Amino acid sequence: MLSYILRRLVSVAFTFIVVSLIIFLMMHAVPGGPFDANDMPVSEAVRAKLMAQLGLDQPLYVQYLRYMWGVLQFDFGVPYQSPGESVLQLLSRAWVPSLILGGLGVLIGAPLGILLGMAAALNRNSWIDYLASAVATLGLTIPVFVTSMLLILVFAVWLKWLPASGWPQPERWILPIIAYAAIPVATYARYTRSAMLDTMSRPFVTVLRAKGLSERRIVFQHVLRNSAIPLVTVFLPMFIGTATGSIFVEAMFRVPGLGAYFVSSIETRDYPLEMALMLMITFMYCIAYLVSDIVYALINPRIRVGGAE
Amino acid sequence: MHISRKFAATLAIATALTLPAMAQATIVAPGQSTTGTYMDYMKTVYDRATFAELLQVPIATFDKEFELTPMAAESWSQSEDGLTWTFNLRKDLVWSDGEPLTAEDYVFALQRAATSGYDFAWYWDFAGGIKGWKEVTEGTADVSALGLVAVDDHTIEVTTTAPKPYLPSVTSLWYPVPKHKVDELGDDWALNVDTIVSSGPFDLESWEKSNNSVALTKSDTYVGPWQAQIDRLEVDPSLGAPEVGLPAFLAGDTDYSFLNTGQVPVAMAADPDGIRKNAVFATSYLSYDLESEPFNDVNVRRAFYYAIDRDELTSTVLKDIAIPAGSILPPGYPGYNPDVVAQATFDPEKAKQFLADAGYPNGEGFPAIEIWIREEGGYNGAIVPAMAQYLQAEFKDVLGITVDIRQLPGADWMDGLRGAKNNIFIAPYEYDYLDPSNFYGIFYNGGRHNYFVPEYDDLVAQADSESDWDTRYDLYAQAEQVMIDQGLIVPLVHPITTAIISSDLGGEASEPNSLGFTPLDRLGHYFFTHLTK
Repeated sequence: MLSYILRRLVSVAFTFIVVSLIIFLMMHAVPGGPFDANDMPVSEAVRAKLMAQLGLDQPLYVQYLRYMWGVLQFDFGVPYQSPGESVLQLLSRAWVPSLILGGLGVLIGAPLGILLGMAAALNRNSWIDYLASAVATLGLTIPVFVTSMLLILVFAVWLKWLPASGWPQPERWILPIIAYAAIPVATYARYTRSAMLDTMSRPFVTVLRAKGLSERRIVFQHVLRNSAIPLVTVFLPMFIGTATGSIFVEAMFRVPGLGAYFVSSIETRDYPLEMALMLMITFMYCIAYLVSDIVYALINPRIRVGGAE
Repeated sequence: MHISRKFAATLAIATALTLPAMAQATIVAPGQSTTGTYMDYMKTVYDRATFAELLQVPIATFDKEFELTPMAAESWSQSEDGLTWTFNLRKDLVWSDGEPLTAEDYVFALQRAATSGYDFAWYWDFAGGIKGWKEVTEGTADVSALGLVAVDDHTIEVTTTAPKPYLPSVTSLWYPVPKHKVDELGDDWALNVDTIVSSGPFDLESWEKSNNSVALTKSDTYVGPWQAQIDRLEVDPSLGAPEVGLPAFLAGDTDYSFLNTGQVPVAMAADPDGIRKNAVFATSYLSYDLESEPFNDVNVRRAFYYAIDRDELTSTVLKDIAIPAGSILPPGYPGYNPDVVAQATFDPEKAKQFLADAGYPNGEGFPAIEIWIREEGGYNGAIVPAMAQYLQAEFKDVLGITVDIRQLPGADWMDGLRGAKNNIFIAPYEYDYLDPSNFYGIFYNGGRHNYFVPEYDDLVAQADSESDWDTRYDLYAQAEQVMIDQGLIVPLVHPITTAIISSDLGGEASEPNSLGFTPLDRLGHYFFTHLTK
């Protein structure tokens, strides 16, 4: 197991380097630079000075090596769109609202989705099954900005129960958390339902029933545990995807989070920030999949990793 | 005893009466850009933090009728030869940290813009025409060569290369920079709330960089004209998108919101009295490559001029998000001339006749043309593509001409225009400074369009440096007549922005001007200091 983890860590490092190279090259292959927006007439002399200041007049490989050398020392540079702070300071500031709202969205949405999926599986073809299917389908197909708009319309404009948008008062968290939770609820309801139905049709469940175990014990102790693998697979990647902020949810609810930076860093050719965001996401996904794989092995000893044992 | 009890009772009543009045009046407003780097207009205009300009006091600014009003300056005068302007500053102005605000702070602001500011130098080059500006920005002359002198603490002298009768209006974008702060901290003074100082009607309370929202408070050190009547102003650029702004407005989270086309009926139903419209000082027009076929023929250009039903265009396709344009100048803009506007009629017969005169009766034999439009955001994004399709149908209908439309990214479109890579364009333009020379300048001697029309250029050159305003406007009107007669452009529409404001807002800034327009935060200094709640 240990050697498996080590081998996986080496491959994470390799992935990290390959991704950094691809991102870096793509970033610089996009036409234009940070100081030639169409509506921002900067004189040639000033542009040259700025490019030199930021080291952008150097050959690409020098820029890349310099940046990556910085990354090794946890120095991700200074974001062009927010001078006066480091990229790390920006991330730690902007990530807080995204982590709170997106994180809570997943933490609340996932258990709700599991419960809904379980109820659906245990009451197949009942109204609750149809409800779960409807929730799952709608949750996955309606774009989140539409969900957000509907939530605002119903709860803020018509019922006037909650503020429409804003930050940081906790009553303003509720609607965005619901918007974020829609996807995990839908995903988990679908996965749980199909995984449980699949498990319940296995012969060992019939054996358990024949042994006279209570239905409750069968479901919670045996079926759920055996159905957990797909649920574990999706959890961490979904958590990362949601807790790094959605540009749509954050824009609709006026949350000063990380989401918008994913787009603005590309739009404004904010190379240091763009690199940092991409590297951060890559790293987190690599680790998330690694952890998921380890957890697999723990909850299901039949899975033997890498054929090593 | 009796008297003191009476006094106490009076005091209690007085306190009770004044308490509600002492409640803080806070206005929540939408902003424009969700990113901003420096809280310093003179360092960067395009990447500035939200309402950096509200923190500082300009030399002069405009009220809602677009009358130029002295702010930091008490008065100004022009020398006999018209080349030198003297601005006399108020003597009692201070920075929020108590340091006196002097002529040096204004001169320094422009010296820095010319040498190390990054995106504002162009304005002062083409609008200001300050002596030595080009040489200094290009690095071929020392900053001392600029025609800018702080004669004493309260007097600034500005020398221009040619007489610029409208220079005072250009100073509406001349804000001071706290030299004492820059000496201490460099440009970084404008990065942190703790180090930012203000000279205008508002102080900075907080700045959330993730969405560039700010909270401003009424300044207690500003003693100049136009002091704030509210205590606090929160500006959130996330509210700038109508899709976010209107729901927030309806839920009571903001005091006004801009509207998109689809929202106008909803807002009208919610509160017709709250609707405010503003004519943006902008114009969309057709322009041509005057050198090549088929638009090198004035008759073809005249045919296009008469072939457009602007009233139908704006009332149907554009749903009143724009008004018909008969001139390059928008209504309310200095020099706006109704006589010129009246000539821009829809006359299919005339249009057909001109086209026939050009040798294309009913469009027969007319070459295939493609209108190039620019990818647009904001109000132009709602107008230009729809308008292009309307024109496509109209030219087919009236002139019998087949037109294609091609949309290009900004830089490619500009390259096509400058390099004459196509022969017909829809070009939108929004003013940069409030003077006719701004709009006429885009066709002057090459300008934006590579137009070289000697008759037009002569008139514009004369008008630009004419100091008698009536003569000047008359010369510009003559120049525009040349434009019409030679069909150099076809003015199409002027964009209109629509907003809904809360009935809690009061003060003269919340009411329309004499033309029926309410410029709202487009006149930030006027608007936020003449607003009550």
